[in-house]
Amino acid sequence: MGIIEWATSPLGQSVPIHIAWFLIWVALIAGMLFLVVHAIYIRYFAKEKEFVADASPKVAAQLPARIPRHSLAARLFHWIMAASMFVLLFTAFLPKVGVRFDWVTYHWIAGTVLTISIIFHIIHASFYLDFWSIWPDRADVEDAWKRFQRFRGESSALPRKFAKYPLENKLYHGAIIVTGMSVILTGVFMMSRVRTIFFPRNPYLFSDMTWGLMYVLHGLAGVGLITLVVVHVYFAIRPEKLPITASMIVGTMSREFYLKEHDPNRWVVEASPNVPRSMADGD
Amino acid sequence: MAVIRDIMPAFQLFQPSSIADAQKLLEQHGEDAWVMAGGLDSFDWLKDRIRKPKALVDLSGVEELRGVRTTADGIEIGAMTTLTEVVHHPVVKEKYGLLAQAAELVASPQIRNQGTLGGNVSQDARCWYYRAGWPCYRAGGNICYADTPVGRNREHAILHAERCVAVNPSDSAPALIALDAKFVIRTPKGERVVDAEDYFLGPDIDITQMNILQPGYLLTAIRIPSTWAGARFYFEKVRDRNVWDFPLLNVASAMMLSGDTIQNIRIAVNGAAARPLRLKAVEDSVRGKQRNAATGEMAGKLAVQGAVPLQFNAYKIPLMRNLVKRSISGVQEAAWAS
Amino acid sequence: MPSPEGKPGQQKFGAKYKLIGKDYTTPDLYAKVTGKSKYAEDYRADGMLFCKLLLSPVPHGRVKHLDLSKALAMPGVKAILTQDDLPAPADSVTDLGVVIKANQQGEKALTMEPTYQGEPVLAVAAVDELTAAEAIEQINIQFEHLPFVVDPLDSLRPNGPNARTEGNVWVRQPAPPAKPGEKAPSPPPPQIGELKWTESDFAELKQGRLPMGKAQDEWSYGDVDAGLKNAALVLDETFVTPDSSHETLELRTTLAYWQNGKVFIHMGTQSTVQTLAGLGRWLNMDPNQIVLISEYTGGGFGSKATGYIFAIIPALLSKKANVPVMMRISREEEHFIGRARPGFQGRMKVGFSKDGKIAALDMFTICNNGPYDAVGDANASGRIVSLLYQPAAMRWRGVTVLTNTPPRGPQSAPGGMQGIVIMEPILAKAARQLSLDQVEIRKANAPQGKAPFGPEMDGKRGHCTSAFLKEAFDRGAEQFKWKERIARPKRSGTKVRGVGVSSSAFFAGSTGYDGLIVIRPDGRIAIQSGIGNLGTESISDVHRVVAEVLGVTWEKCDVIWGNTSQNLPWTCVSGGSQTTHAMTRAAHAVAMDAQKKLQEIAAKTYGGKPEQYEVANERVFRKGGGKSMTLAQAAQRAIQLGGIYDGHEAPEDVNKYTKASIAALAGQGLVAAAKDKYPHDGQTFSYVASFAEVEVDTETGMYDITDFLAVADVGTVIHPKALAGQVLGRSILGMGHAIGQKWVFDPQYGHTLSRRFYHTKPPTILDVPVNMQWAALDIPDPETPVGARGIGEPPVGGGCGAILNALSDALGDEIYRRAPVNLDTILTSLEAGRPMQDPLTAFI
Repeated sequence: MGIIEWATSPLGQSVPIHIAWFLIWVALIAGMLFLVVHAIYIRYFAKEKEFVADASPKVAAQLPARIPRHSLAARLFHWIMAASMFVLLFTAFLPKVGVRFDWVTYHWIAGTVLTISIIFHIIHASFYLDFWSIWPDRADVEDAWKRFQRFRGESSALPRKFAKYPLENKLYHGAIIVTGMSVILTGVFMMSRVRTIFFPRNPYLFSDMTWGLMYVLHGLAGVGLITLVVVHVYFAIRPEKLPITASMIVGTMSREFYLKEHDPNRWVVEASPNVPRSMADGD
Repeated sequence: MAVIRDIMPAFQLFQPSSIADAQKLLEQHGEDAWVMAGGLDSFDWLKDRIRKPKALVDLSGVEELRGVRTTADGIEIGAMTTLTEVVHHPVVKEKYGLLAQAAELVASPQIRNQGTLGGNVSQDARCWYYRAGWPCYRAGGNICYADTPVGRNREHAILHAERCVAVNPSDSAPALIALDAKFVIRTPKGERVVDAEDYFLGPDIDITQMNILQPGYLLTAIRIPSTWAGARFYFEKVRDRNVWDFPLLNVASAMMLSGDTIQNIRIAVNGAAARPLRLKAVEDSVRGKQRNAATGEMAGKLAVQGAVPLQFNAYKIPLMRNLVKRSISGVQEAAWAS
Repeated sequence: MPSPEGKPGQQKFGAKYKLIGKDYTTPDLYAKVTGKSKYAEDYRADGMLFCKLLLSPVPHGRVKHLDLSKALAMPGVKAILTQDDLPAPADSVTDLGVVIKANQQGEKALTMEPTYQGEPVLAVAAVDELTAAEAIEQINIQFEHLPFVVDPLDSLRPNGPNARTEGNVWVRQPAPPAKPGEKAPSPPPPQIGELKWTESDFAELKQGRLPMGKAQDEWSYGDVDAGLKNAALVLDETFVTPDSSHETLELRTTLAYWQNGKVFIHMGTQSTVQTLAGLGRWLNMDPNQIVLISEYTGGGFGSKATGYIFAIIPALLSKKANVPVMMRISREEEHFIGRARPGFQGRMKVGFSKDGKIAALDMFTICNNGPYDAVGDANASGRIVSLLYQPAAMRWRGVTVLTNTPPRGPQSAPGGMQGIVIMEPILAKAARQLSLDQVEIRKANAPQGKAPFGPEMDGKRGHCTSAFLKEAFDRGAEQFKWKERIARPKRSGTKVRGVGVSSSAFFAGSTGYDGLIVIRPDGRIAIQSGIGNLGTESISDVHRVVAEVLGVTWEKCDVIWGNTSQNLPWTCVSGGSQTTHAMTRAAHAVAMDAQKKLQEIAAKTYGGKPEQYEVANERVFRKGGGKSMTLAQAAQRAIQLGGIYDGHEAPEDVNKYTKASIAALAGQGLVAAAKDKYPHDGQTFSYVASFAEVEVDTETGMYDITDFLAVADVGTVIHPKALAGQVLGRSILGMGHAIGQKWVFDPQYGHTLSRRFYHTKPPTILDVPVNMQWAALDIPDPETPVGARGIGEPPVGGGCGAILNALSDALGDEIYRRAPVNLDTILTSLEAGRPMQDPLTAFI
């Protein structure tokens, strides 16, 4: 059983047409498995987080009670993207597992929404937000190594607290970029194969082989997103992460949580309690 | 590996003699089974080696599936009743002439002798790209070859196309919809009876299937209630040749009149979409109106609202408009002296 | 027994004959209607294998990887044949000893560089067809994709793709000059070259008119430009005719086996004797080593004139596997290899005088040839138009373009039909614009007597043997009640009716073949027939002349046919509608030879001069009474006499093929053999005046042909029933082109989409008008002894033209610009009030 479905093109060539749909279940199970393993790990094996001391109480005292984390625009983007992503996943995969409905229209409309929101996000993040805050930096790597050594029981210096986003968050964002951009880029071209309001239908933009690979990439990234979304939702509802989740709704997190997890030197929050500067980024 | 479109592949042949046996076989073989009625669609698929089922269940020996029976409320036609039998059955002719007219226009006399009513309503699309074994949407692939800037789509859909633009080629289906027929299906979970129009699927719902039959399902009979018995019927099939041709479009209507007023009506067309279409909006718009040319014109225009032509099938729009009109207000026949 | 009088009311023929012009039971009839007739597929041979073909999935490509190992390893797979197993194409030698060099770029039975989708690439022989098919699915074959083109206009564009690697047209090479005292050397075979038009040539296309760039061939006579300039009416019309498969019901199924170095081939072919040369050329073998068995052929229509190249596949596989091999062909395979009429993209400018006479005609045709050897349709179209409409001045230009579509071949009235179909709607339109009657305008332009046709050759134009087309129109107009019909109301309810008439003609005869008969000692006459049994009945019809001349009853005659081991005479190709003409001449010649020999034998036996004896009533007797002998006695006497009387000596002038047959028959009775040397002035054509009425439903665009009449000018009628079959049947073949038959391709992949009957839509019996009539003038042609001309092809153009003209009579001139005309064309054009079809794209 291959992970790709092949067909014979009119010209007698073997060409891929899409992924094998059992991968949907593989992705879902992988997500669930991660969830279970992680939950067990946290419950039974994880050690209490330890960080080097950072901010002076003086700095802490100057902080507002609610630390601004995500601007309204960023939050709106996140939730629009999340909604379109759910629509995309359900419209893509439910019909494949036997739930029959008119899915294509919803799928391409949601895809269009996602694409526009991502374009907005790229521009917004590049020019209006702290673009680099979501990308892993040297400190992340060093700290990760320290944490790993400590986990193995080896002696190592304490890691620093996180910047605005923990490394895991940044890596997740990276994975979403890869899968998201894959589905979007292939999806935009695939829209030329169905009737949309955008351009005349033309399935002959590429060769059968190129199209086939495009469908496979779309499918692989799509099922990858199943896993990623499961993982994401799982983290969003984990009790210790709830403040972060809440901040994606209300835009701020408590000073206590901020000071507990984040390094004010790495995530500088303006001291003035009255005019919190928008520093948020979305994930 | 090379492709050859000739010589039936080997399969296990089962020839049950009862519905129960047939059902057992279908359940046993699940997705590996192929149900064959008259064989006119099946043999194409098999000889072209596009479909290679492991087990072929030939229903020709199931006597229970044959024949027309009168019931308390109309008639019940076994799914394996040949089209010729349907055409010549006195009760069908007398009370449900719409079906007799439609069945008589199917293909050719030889094909009607062999083809069955169940097979006629369950037949697959005849899109020449799909039938060539090309990996199109309907074949489980990711493209429609007919709806492209250069696709040859003269016989394809003008309505409800969703990626796939194939049409349903059945002549009897719209007549059965107009007669408000019910399709009786044996499923592994028991008998299911569905309205004729709900038997068919468009590509928006399932792009690889034209009807609701699942592995293990068996269409056993078609029931026609007496509701429309003896109503005013109209059937017309438009095709390129006078015989042995699929419809480019067909229309079926059943109408009840009180004087010249249309009391009730059912209209269906086929050849316009991947499933036979019941024109509910048209029915609603003409109910209570005078049966005259103006009503017909209005109905025709309404029927083609939202139709989207492809490069070579724009003619289907005026054709459908005219057919729907004629199905309501009739044809102005020529009155030549000679 | 059919009544010799025919149906009541039917025309009677052959007033001055006993057999000619009368219906009779043909020798193959009972076998055909009882199913006892054996076609190639009905034979079986001991140990016979079946073969299946691997067809190209690409419209143009080259095999870059081929792995047969899995297929060969399958149990039951015995041999695989590829291009490498084929003999090199052989040169051929004509009757006159002219060597025709083999075309190395021509079609092969199997190829590693397929030039159309569906072309056979290799063949697998196995114990049964299932094994062969499964073996093909185990073959790993990959193609390098090459550029392809299906529409000739695309190939003619600057930088347009070429169907062949070398180009898109055939270029004829001139023969090198003859050295003094030596025979003229034969010209080298044609080469593939490239022909492209300029962008400015294509500007016309935007106006919906055929661009007319550089032509490959052209000829003209008279002053065309002046004729057009001075004309009262000039019409300039572009028209597209369909490509249409021959759709013979018998597929190209072939059985072959080898015995003692000879190959025996069972196949369907139009010609018996003439097919040997083709098989010999394709197999690169001496035709003497080939035995052809073809007693029945299920249709040819030009596609099996001298067999087909694919017959060598089972022959070579049989040699390789050393057992008989049967190749059964499917309908889809037949579509690819079974030939088709080439579609034309044509344009004509025609100048008319006020009275409808054609002053000048400028004709341009593009012929879609497929990838291989050029068909002659383009040139024939010009000749037939020049004959049939007698323009005072005419220019013809043509291009035959190679495309990656299945190979074309001659189909009933090749080229002639397309020319007529382009011309007829123009003539109909002109009559409307000039307010002339449709019949009258055709009569005004019809050929009469020894009418000229074609270009000037050596300062002179050729002419026909005779033409009585005007008489045919007169008779037809009366029988069809033309005047009454045109006076009737046209429209009622949603129906419109229209009447149409068309001229039609095609080549109808050749000369110079041999007759061979044996009067046996039992008094029966064995007539050796080298004609193919292609369904026209000419195989026995022409030999009625032998019985007529010799005064014997038909029941005493045995026609021997369908097997080249049975000593047959040199016979014409049963194609080009030449058989009735050519072989009644040969039959007449051999009957005269028999008569002469009978008279001589009687004189030798009873004394006196041969002229004093007469042959009649199955006897030779002295004129005015006295000694006589039966034919049986004469045959016995011939054997005693030997020499020229029993075939131990052959006439000098018969073909060497006939001589071999005479030698084999020697001693079996009175052997008569003769070559047709009767004088013949002109080129033989037959003519048809076709009439049709259609009834169109303007709301659906569907139409019915309600009435049809074809009046044939075919010289003396030989066999009315067979003539009826040809006149009506070939009219229907023509109708098919008007009402629906066509090819459709997907241009993206270069694949045929119309692969099956329900796609190509040949006419069915229910498309045929209920009231379909025929008549024949029965005026003998003056240039042939019996007076009979051929009829197979002449009705085709009229069958299409009359329907098209009836449609424009009903609906007006602004409906169609191509054939076939279907309801989609009619409905959309009626809606829009102008022609709505894409005017020039091929294969829509």
